[in-house]
Amino acid sequence: MRRWNGRMTAMFLCGLAVLFLAAVTAAGWGVSEEALVTDFSRKNLGPGVPYLFGTDWLGRDMFLRTLTGLSMSIRIGILAAGVSSVLALFLGTLAATMGKAADAAVTWIIDLVMGIPHILLLILISCALGKGFRGVVVGVALTHWTSLARVIRGEVMQLKEALYIQAARKLGVGTWEIAWKHMFPHLFPQFLVGLILTFPHAILHEAGITFLGFGLSPEQPAIGIILSESMKYLAMGRWWLALFPGLFLVCTVVLFDVAGEGLRRLLDPGSAHV
Amino acid sequence: MNRNAYGILMAAVLTGLCASGCGAQDGVQNGTQEQPAQAEEHKTETDTDTEDSVIVVMGPTSEPESGFDPAYGWGAGEHVHEPLIQSTLTVTKPDLSIDYDLATDMQVSEDGMAWTVTIRDDVFFTDGDPLTAEDVAFTYNTVKADSSVNDFTMLKEAVAVDEKTVEFRMERPYSIWPYTMAIVGIVPEHAYGPAYGENPVGSGRYLMKQWDKGQQIIFEANPDYYGEAPKMKKVTVLFMDEDAAYAAVMAGQADLAYTAASYSDQAVDGYTLLAYETVDNRGINLPAAPASADAEGNPMGNDLTDDVRVRRAVNIGIDREEMIQNVLNGYGTAAYSVCDRMPWYNDAAQVSYDPEGAAALLEEAGWLPGPDGIREKDGVRAELNILYSAGDSVRQALAADTQNQLKKLGIDASIEGVGWDTAYTRAQAEPLMWGWGAHTPMELYNIYHTLEGGSAEYSPYSNEKVDQYMDEALAATSLEESYELWKKAQWDGETGITQQGDIPWIWLCNIDHLYWAKEGLHVADQKLHPHGHGWSIVNNVDQWYWER
Repeated sequence: MRRWNGRMTAMFLCGLAVLFLAAVTAAGWGVSEEALVTDFSRKNLGPGVPYLFGTDWLGRDMFLRTLTGLSMSIRIGILAAGVSSVLALFLGTLAATMGKAADAAVTWIIDLVMGIPHILLLILISCALGKGFRGVVVGVALTHWTSLARVIRGEVMQLKEALYIQAARKLGVGTWEIAWKHMFPHLFPQFLVGLILTFPHAILHEAGITFLGFGLSPEQPAIGIILSESMKYLAMGRWWLALFPGLFLVCTVVLFDVAGEGLRRLLDPGSAHV
Repeated sequence: MNRNAYGILMAAVLTGLCASGCGAQDGVQNGTQEQPAQAEEHKTETDTDTEDSVIVVMGPTSEPESGFDPAYGWGAGEHVHEPLIQSTLTVTKPDLSIDYDLATDMQVSEDGMAWTVTIRDDVFFTDGDPLTAEDVAFTYNTVKADSSVNDFTMLKEAVAVDEKTVEFRMERPYSIWPYTMAIVGIVPEHAYGPAYGENPVGSGRYLMKQWDKGQQIIFEANPDYYGEAPKMKKVTVLFMDEDAAYAAVMAGQADLAYTAASYSDQAVDGYTLLAYETVDNRGINLPAAPASADAEGNPMGNDLTDDVRVRRAVNIGIDREEMIQNVLNGYGTAAYSVCDRMPWYNDAAQVSYDPEGAAALLEEAGWLPGPDGIREKDGVRAELNILYSAGDSVRQALAADTQNQLKKLGIDASIEGVGWDTAYTRAQAEPLMWGWGAHTPMELYNIYHTLEGGSAEYSPYSNEKVDQYMDEALAATSLEESYELWKKAQWDGETGITQQGDIPWIWLCNIDHLYWAKEGLHVADQKLHPHGHGWSIVNNVDQWYWER
């Protein structure tokens, strides 16, 4: 049997994180009907059995609400981060391969987007699109691509000078074929890690603007809505309304980070043999 | 001679006004600069001298955006209250009948087209000038021209007949004019301008001393007030959110702070919880028309609630007492109309909870229980989406409780939070959790009377007989006569808007207005508060006192 090593720890953690997140997503989806049920005979209960996370002033089960909220956040995060990464890949490659003018233009856009505070731009975009699901997804997608785009641009620029690419070019292989066959496989690990590390940002920002009232509509059990509602009840000593959902949000974000880091260690040649 | 001389005089006054207007502005600027010092001073004062001052906390939405100008909603806005700084011609008594403030007498012509009001001659504005019929006429002509929040279309013009007599010439008979006169604060013609809202001059019990926008307003007793001198010499109003208000109470920084039912199970040392009954009601509209679309293509009407038997079933199938316990912790009263316990309320509206009766009505209407307990008719499930204004936790809870109770009746209800930008349009086809309640019967008219298009404004409904009674009520020559007609509009023995009638709106509860009051503070008896948990509480702050 092989000795337990760092690589296996990374793989294990990564697998565990993915499993947990998948479970939360699926469970939340499954109980989304249940989470909306109000029952005044059980309002304002503290955490315990059978309501692990307690109940709120409408007698809603906070455990189910938290699950549903996280599930929704994760799904929005995946969608937004996915769109964002594809955008980054496209623009990064464009900048690196299509000449000086394209490079200047893309770099300028990157600087522009990075120059405006994330949350501000998010709120602007979300409001302009009438808030709700669409506003949040588009907002997050349009604000989170910049750093990945930079990385990809740098990588592609390096690759362009690489001997095997030069050789392929001299052999008369077309631009698209070079990009697809020779560059993309090299870029993929970077891209994947970048994609996964965008999730936590996307989820936090979704929760953030929803908390501020510029995101999802209030009857949806989103985590940001749960947290902003709970603020009112903190003064009354109902700490469980904020603590558990908040804790779970942090857990989710950390787990995504763990998964992303693990994947990076596994794929990145620099740390693959640790 | 008079006309010309008068013109010249007016020009002179106006010039003077401009000059003093600029002066006033300087004053404001100085005031702003002096604020920190004044605030300091205020702080030390409240620490030591609490004998005749009181600190009241209200919600941030109570701060008058456009200042203390009656033309822009002060006192006469969506949430009516006594304007404190200004005097009004009439006032409402605790039983909501009419009494006099500035007025000494009022007469209405036989055809209802002219109101003649005489006023006291011993009243002075706080700048020293007397309050005359000219000022009254000016005020009403101004609010008619400028009011952005209130309807003054029934008034043609106000004319000062002599020093102390003013005549209101009407566009149409309006028997409940005295209720309008109870909310319009009289402003001085000589000191009125665009900046009036921030520098109000009136003849009321208090004068505005200081206004730190977004934070506080300080009132001081008017030393020259013509009525009984206010016992509370200084009133500070702070604007805070519910949780901040509660925190202020816990810290002992407020003498009286508004609060919500969700806080009512808390206990704070040194404070008692005051609960005042209200007509601040909550209820839902049930569109009384079949589903269709309006001219702009928006959905209008609802096939389920179009059937009067379904509406009646909902009205008796909801346990209001349970709802009050569940949502309001018991701090509320069951509502059966938009005007419970007002002089124009018809108690035929009252119903008792009867789930069997409700089920029988639904079955009679053809809605029979389906396999999952939800009723069906011709293959259609009984479904109803109830809207509530997003961010209002009480309305959300009421909607949720209504949803649960409707489920028991076999109606599959859902709830949805919406913004006011879309709520009015959507309420034409779906029930919305509304809040109403005012000290004027005009609210019945606004809700139930049809508009030109043939349907009522807020929810599809029309009944010619109901319209007719309300038109007659407005044309009545005495208030007593009009009360009877308003009652008939609700139920005349044959038709109306009650359970036996068309019941296009279901009224659920009147929400008690709750306050934390510091022990020892004696808050004077309150009238039934209207909609709006704000200024109503200080209507009689001049009569409050500290028990030592």
